[in-house]
Amino acid sequence: MSDVVAEKVISTLASVKRIPADTIKLDTNLQDLGIDSLDVFTLLFELENAFKISIPDDDVRSLRTVNDVVEGIKKIIAAAPPDASLGSATPAD
Amino acid sequence: MAPRRVAITGLGIISPLGLNLEENWKSLSEGRAAIGPIQGADCSTLRFKNGAEVTGYDPVAHFPGGKDAYIDRFAQFSVVAAREALRNSGLQLTPELRERSAIVCGSAVGGQAAIEAGFQDLWVEGRGRVHPLTIPKTMSNAGASHIAMDMGMSGPTYTVSTACSSANHAIGQAFRLVRDGEADVAMTGGSEAMFSIGMLKAWEAMRVIAPDTCRPFSKDRRGMILGEGGAMMVLEPMDAAKARGAKIFAEICGFGMTADAHHLTQPAVHGPARAMRGALREAGLEPEAIGYINAHGTGTPGNDPVESRAIREVFGAHADKIGVSSTKSMHGHALGAAGALEAIATILALYHGILPPTANFNEPDPECDLDYIPNQPRALRVEAALSNSFAFGGLNAVVAFRAAPR
Repeated sequence: MSDVVAEKVISTLASVKRIPADTIKLDTNLQDLGIDSLDVFTLLFELENAFKISIPDDDVRSLRTVNDVVEGIKKIIAAAPPDASLGSATPAD
Repeated sequence: MAPRRVAITGLGIISPLGLNLEENWKSLSEGRAAIGPIQGADCSTLRFKNGAEVTGYDPVAHFPGGKDAYIDRFAQFSVVAAREALRNSGLQLTPELRERSAIVCGSAVGGQAAIEAGFQDLWVEGRGRVHPLTIPKTMSNAGASHIAMDMGMSGPTYTVSTACSSANHAIGQAFRLVRDGEADVAMTGGSEAMFSIGMLKAWEAMRVIAPDTCRPFSKDRRGMILGEGGAMMVLEPMDAAKARGAKIFAEICGFGMTADAHHLTQPAVHGPARAMRGALREAGLEPEAIGYINAHGTGTPGNDPVESRAIREVFGAHADKIGVSSTKSMHGHALGAAGALEAIATILALYHGILPPTANFNEPDPECDLDYIPNQPRALRVEAALSNSFAFGGLNAVVAFRAAPR
């Protein structure tokens, strides 16, 4: 599970910023990737679709590193089963 | 022609705080918020549930004979507010004056709810066709056009759309049309009605809406609350207003507009500060003359500290002597109508000598270090006031008002 989440977060970040995925590590600081608030909204939108989850607004403000995003998503998935009404994509896409 | 002084002689408003001017002022001057569970759309799949809606409004009573179906809710609000403004201005629109009258309205999203209903017909209901008046209901200028037709006002008429600064840009333009002699009367303000599920979903994705309520400048603020409504005012040359013995609510005396040229959604200090300075300069007001600022004050973590810094940058030590409140804490953020709702609050504050408070204020934030008139209105006569609007896209518009000559 952890690999799936981490891989999806990294591939989505790479797609959002149009950069190679292998330049992104778990301890990479989001700011160092040039991620701003609009990129965060887009990233979370894609991840909510992918994992069929809803990420609360308040959780977003404390995100600093790639791993913060990965851990936050894992926590949400563990707390509640994926909701089919949220999003249309599958985690594998 | 030398620039003319411009009087505000009529006010009209329909908002979550009430269906007319009297009801609105009662709520504003008592610090009573109108924020609650959204009724106009199904919020079961939204992360937020609360909004500030116009309640108790009967479209058929205002637009009989089936006309209500041809006018989107946002445009209805502009006509309802304009009718009240014209009525309490006591102005008689002669044929000559109608041709010399301007209408400048603000709206951010116009009638997008109408086209959203069309999409529902097409893709959900599978009807294959949409309502025949979808285009004229959707167009953002519908509000201005319906006012023109309703009142026979036939001079320069248009709509300004600059997101959350729309109404302030409109009011500033109308002020200059009257000041510079392009028009001898102007109807100006803004209207908005965005409680449709597509629009709410779009706002949810922006992650700026509070799950609870709107607490501008309070440390525990969690975002904005969407609002709707319409507000209009009648502007006339001061000399003409005095000559006909009109009641003068206040003088509109300055307008400043700038772009941050910085970021699509993140606020900046320099753009708003320059807009406030521009409004003061045009009004010929010293910063020390300002006693009240109706802040943009969205209640988002981002806006409030930045706006506070901008105010401090413009006013220096005098900033501590200015009452600053965000009435969005009561009527919500009505986007393109926000500046109009807040202009009414500012004008009535000058007229009655009561500064409306920032409602829902819980605890001071070290990053917001001004006097926000927390929770309780303040009886205080001030000489002049500013009303701030700052939009996504970094577009800033500030209007300056002076208390009516007594």
